[in-house]
Amino acid sequence: MDFTERSTRVYRTKQLYTKEELAARESLCVHEQPAFCAAACPLRLDARELAGHAAAGELTAARAMLERAAPFPGILAAGCEAPCRAACRLNEVPGGQAVDIPAIERAAMRHGTARTGKGLLKFKKKKTAAVFGAELFTLAVAGELAGKSYPTKFYVSEGSAEELIDKCAPFLPADIRAAETGRLGAMDIKLKFGSELTAELVRGSGADIVCVSREVLALLGPAAEPDPVTLYCGEQGVLARTGEEGGVIGAFYDARRAGVSADRLAQGMAPDTMRGEEGPVESRLYTDLSEARPGGSVPEGEGYTPEQAAAEAGRCIQCRCEECVKGCAWLRHYDKFPRIMTREIYNNVGIIMGDHMMNGAINSCALCGQCTVTCPNGYDMAEICLSARRNMVATGKMSLAVHEFALYDQIFSNTEAFLCRAEPGYENCKYVFFPGCQAGAIAPEAVHRAYADLRARLEGGVGILLGCCGLISHWAGREELFDETCAQLRAELDKLGNPTIITACPSCMKTLREAGLGECAGIWDVLLELGLPDCAPRAVGEAVLHDACGARGDAETQAAIRKLVSELGCELSEPEYTGDRSPCCGYGGLAGYAKPEVAADYTKAALEGCEGLQLTYCMGCRDRYARQGAESAHILELIYASPAGDPPGISEKRKNRLTLKQRLLRDIWKEDTHMAPRGYKIEYTPEVKELMEQRMVLESDIETVMQAYREGGEAIYEADTGLRISRYRLGNVTFWVKFTEDAEGYVIHSAYSHRMTVETR
Amino acid sequence: MAEDKSYYVVDPGGRYRCLKCDVPLVKANAVFGYLDNAFPVELPVCPKCGFVFVPEELAMGKVLSVEKVLEDK
Repeated sequence: MDFTERSTRVYRTKQLYTKEELAARESLCVHEQPAFCAAACPLRLDARELAGHAAAGELTAARAMLERAAPFPGILAAGCEAPCRAACRLNEVPGGQAVDIPAIERAAMRHGTARTGKGLLKFKKKKTAAVFGAELFTLAVAGELAGKSYPTKFYVSEGSAEELIDKCAPFLPADIRAAETGRLGAMDIKLKFGSELTAELVRGSGADIVCVSREVLALLGPAAEPDPVTLYCGEQGVLARTGEEGGVIGAFYDARRAGVSADRLAQGMAPDTMRGEEGPVESRLYTDLSEARPGGSVPEGEGYTPEQAAAEAGRCIQCRCEECVKGCAWLRHYDKFPRIMTREIYNNVGIIMGDHMMNGAINSCALCGQCTVTCPNGYDMAEICLSARRNMVATGKMSLAVHEFALYDQIFSNTEAFLCRAEPGYENCKYVFFPGCQAGAIAPEAVHRAYADLRARLEGGVGILLGCCGLISHWAGREELFDETCAQLRAELDKLGNPTIITACPSCMKTLREAGLGECAGIWDVLLELGLPDCAPRAVGEAVLHDACGARGDAETQAAIRKLVSELGCELSEPEYTGDRSPCCGYGGLAGYAKPEVAADYTKAALEGCEGLQLTYCMGCRDRYARQGAESAHILELIYASPAGDPPGISEKRKNRLTLKQRLLRDIWKEDTHMAPRGYKIEYTPEVKELMEQRMVLESDIETVMQAYREGGEAIYEADTGLRISRYRLGNVTFWVKFTEDAEGYVIHSAYSHRMTVETR
Repeated sequence: MAEDKSYYVVDPGGRYRCLKCDVPLVKANAVFGYLDNAFPVELPVCPKCGFVFVPEELAMGKVLSVEKVLEDK
């Protein structure tokens, strides 16, 4: 299969999800849900944030939050009944007690610095407001309306501001009463002390918005009752509280609602228009309480010192759902939550022209499914990223450059390096060994020995199938190639009489199973039944076992591996995220091809806190951990006493697969498939080897360029370096080689490539 | 005129020689193409056989970065 480059001038898009499908996915992410305390507060004061400020010693910031939440924060802090306390998750911890938010609020009011200045220049509104009667609700409403810049008059029978505050909030200690009296005085409210509150006074006020106390409402009409939501009494044309006693927090909440109604009335609208969500709500937030410590509140006594407030606020566990982020290096790299990622991916797919900023994110998800397990609601980023990749392939938006190398690697595995044979002496086999492309590439000796062992100890014939299961094309979103690969494998397995497939890779096993290619077993299952071969060690010692992301949800495989390694004499420890919660090593989803730096983050995260021998049952993990400098081994390397050594480079991985095939053909089927020697030498300087690895230039690419040079003689001579430079366009890439030449052949000094075409004009 | 614009110029300065034609490369008009986009440039070209040379610094620098930008278009 050849891949043709796309055009940036094809303007095609396909909707990734319907609006409903998108909403269904997004709604699973509860990260942005309010904390339970904030959800329980009618004023929606975010107590989690307030506690955060207080714990950090920022009582001024905490005080500013209160000042924004209510016109008389001192009264609120002194009298709030604190519904947040009942909602606090610490109540669920044995021996735990809710955080005393009102006590922290009081400390903030006492020790925090008041906001200075008036803020933005506000122009007085044309509509006027009048408030009648002294109760906490009317006091708060007067403050709300003044804050909204309505010219406000406040008629009370009391003779002074102190009396008024005392009537409204008799529970205040002297210092707070004085402070709140001062606050009232500083507000832009015309206070009419000593007023005789009569129905005539109210009706004759001439104000556009009128708000009255319960006492005054009774004077206006004994049967008058305001609407429980808008607090507007249409009969009398006034705003007032309903008869229910809601306490201090209720009075402030009602004042806020009355303020909203006042705005609607001032604009000539019905007071119930577009009010949005008001009051307490149910939060769907998930909080991990496993690390919450029991403990009671710091006693308030005469009031907290800033240190005591910080200590009490420090008990707040800052309820947040970050379960997915804690485990996933990809989410941490992009520093976004699944809901935001999903929306941005959805938008990215919809872009017709312009930069697709999320391509990198879409292509660097490991598609490992860890988030689906760690998320309390099963958020599935892998499904979203894979759908996006398929969508991009279908609409011609997927860059070929990202996955071309990997796709050609799969094609190499299933053409040049492909081998499917029945065991000599059998036409149909009972089993076929499917080691997987990476096993042949990284640990060919282990594969060779494993196959010999299986043939020796299993009856009914054990065939061999060297190739790729097609997962690479599946990850790349190239369904056409995946289907083609499945068809190829199906035809080959058919020839062997559809044997049981013995895999050495959990990802292959999953892929082959899901594609319905036959009954699959892991080599670990077979070895558990047969017993370990004689060559296997029995006292490996300490090792860290990394579960493969391909075995997520496969409890049988995870258990079989543990049993098998215990027979090897391993004293196992496991990383923090293990079993179904295991992360990807960075190989999954072709992340390393799209964003090597993100893949490196995956690897580092998977190895965090792990020392000594890292034991894996996926060759991808083995390779990446070894590259990161860890001592790592695939279980087959241990069992068959054939350590693979340093991780091979990209060219060596191909050579290993080819050599394994040739060796098996020669040893078992007595066929010699060695290719004719080239007839000239190609040598590499040590520097160029590293460069080729970095630039993804294969030795076979170099050989093609040199062969073309020998045939066509096209090259230039660089006078500065004395090197010759030739090039050849191979598929979608032009490869350049800098070399010296002698009678025996060539020494390669540098190699580079570009995807652009270049010609004269 | 827009058509005469060159995005990038590499002057061979007599440093390169075409081995096949045995003549020095000269600065000449060339065009890079990628994903249906074209970028006129001036590069060292063999005046006889038309071999266009893309230096390593150019390929791994500007060309690579423009490729990456276009791939996300």
